[in-house]
Amino acid sequence: MSFPSAVDPATGQSRLPSMTIPLRFVLLGLLSLFTGIGLLVARPDLLATYHYNQYIIAVTHLVVLGFIGSVVMGAMYQLVPVALETRLHSERLARWHFVAHAVGVVGMVVMFWTWNLKQVGHFGSVFALGVGLFVFNLVKTLRTIPRWNVIAFAIAAALGWLSFTVLAGLYLAASKCWSFSSFNPIAAMHAHAHLGGLGVFVMLIVGIAYKLIPMFVLSDLRSVRRAGWSLGLLNTGLLGLFFTILLQSRLKPLFAVVAVAGLALYGLEIRAILRTRTRRVLDWGVRYFLTAIALLAPLSVLGLVLAWPGLPATAFTTQLENVYGFLGLFGVVALAILGMLYKIVPFLVWFHRYSGEIGRAKVPSMAEMYSERLQVAGYWTFVGGLAMTSVATALGHVLAVRGGCVLLTTSLAIFAVNMAKVLSHWIKPKVQPAVPARTLNASASPSRLALT
Amino acid sequence: MQDDNPMNGAELPTEAMVWEALKTVIDPELGFNLVDLGLIYSVEIAERKVTVRMTLTTRGCPMHESLVWGVRRAVLGLDPVHAVDVQLVWDPPWQPSMMSPAAQERLGVLGCGC
Repeated sequence: MSFPSAVDPATGQSRLPSMTIPLRFVLLGLLSLFTGIGLLVARPDLLATYHYNQYIIAVTHLVVLGFIGSVVMGAMYQLVPVALETRLHSERLARWHFVAHAVGVVGMVVMFWTWNLKQVGHFGSVFALGVGLFVFNLVKTLRTIPRWNVIAFAIAAALGWLSFTVLAGLYLAASKCWSFSSFNPIAAMHAHAHLGGLGVFVMLIVGIAYKLIPMFVLSDLRSVRRAGWSLGLLNTGLLGLFFTILLQSRLKPLFAVVAVAGLALYGLEIRAILRTRTRRVLDWGVRYFLTAIALLAPLSVLGLVLAWPGLPATAFTTQLENVYGFLGLFGVVALAILGMLYKIVPFLVWFHRYSGEIGRAKVPSMAEMYSERLQVAGYWTFVGGLAMTSVATALGHVLAVRGGCVLLTTSLAIFAVNMAKVLSHWIKPKVQPAVPARTLNASASPSRLALT
Repeated sequence: MQDDNPMNGAELPTEAMVWEALKTVIDPELGFNLVDLGLIYSVEIAERKVTVRMTLTTRGCPMHESLVWGVRRAVLGLDPVHAVDVQLVWDPPWQPSMMSPAAQERLGVLGCGC
């Protein structure tokens, strides 16, 4: 019998790659998020007016690629080997990926801001090279997994959509430079955004939740069939949505319904998992994540409304598109990521600093590595900021958008303080003696452990 | 004749001492020691070898090898234990009722907690 573990039972070696690999992605991600939200505080008009301009495209790419993309890809290097009981194919490739990723993202964002599309294409190619290394590394890793399941399927699908998204993005940049595209540029941009948002990030949230939520609340996946259908419908809906958005087809609502049906099944499965959980009290990291999942409901309703072909293009309805994008990126994806970072970062630090001490010394639990009070304060500040920014964006109220973004910045500052507390354990582990000295067996060394 | 084993003079630990040592091993996610969580099923001492039967709350736990090694280390820390056999079992399956009242209360098993 085998089951997921951070240590390979056959070799006794850790399945986790070096901690610095995910950590450098996470740090770049948090830096991008702070910069992105800071730009929105400085320029709230970007959200309060229609989104087809160079600045909001730059900020969107900073948040999507710099924050979400960095954290998600860094976390995948860490989680995929553990969740799928295998080892990462190559850490070296992951390090090169980071270089290409950082150069590509920074260059793209700056060039979008200055609207130099030729250079966007160049830096986009560097970013695409990094994505290529990432996909290659993960595909090679997936090929070694002992058994396929819905989680592996979701990860594989997300990798496929990621490749598609990047190619579509490069096509968009090239078509702008050489004016060869016959597609409506706004429709093409929306199709590209749905590939990334729904195909990569929501797909991963769905797949990862099927693994992590049961683990954190002490429950089980209740229906593999329902989970499989949710992924199948989501993928089918997205494929149809991409082409119907791109071609401005009247069939768009049909595929929107299919995708929403997939998300509804996902919601039902998560509800079933929660209802049968043993751990009744949910910790706040899980609450962050579940709130993000719950926000898929209003987002889906908004998506269905916006997909309706007869919807008039008024100042209000076009602002609703901004709300849709903002709520999707910050409400669903960013909040889910913050919740998971409250699990992943303490896990990483704990595993690398304390797993060798457990049983030999008194080590802190993961919850003791940060402040729960700050975590709760960060949660409510973030939710308040989301609500205020969403309403203000819908109404096109510049000052209120700034107020909402200040709340979000405050929440992120609180989050940063808590992460600093966690990382302080990495720099200076807080270990205390556990057993009275007279009972200690001096020969209980790691080398002896390996022989028993 | 001179005794070349420095441990021969030491007395074997009692079961109570082993259980107490196992209380130093915590599940870092739940924040409780394995004994209070009801994850340790039995302890047997024979000569200088200790056999621990234990389980985990879930099979999908990335910490599982760390916890097993933690149990080994904790028991090996007792003089003059020389070998520890940790048997990870799934029968009987772990249930919340196996937890101590304090752990049950902390994790919200007794109340609704929703």
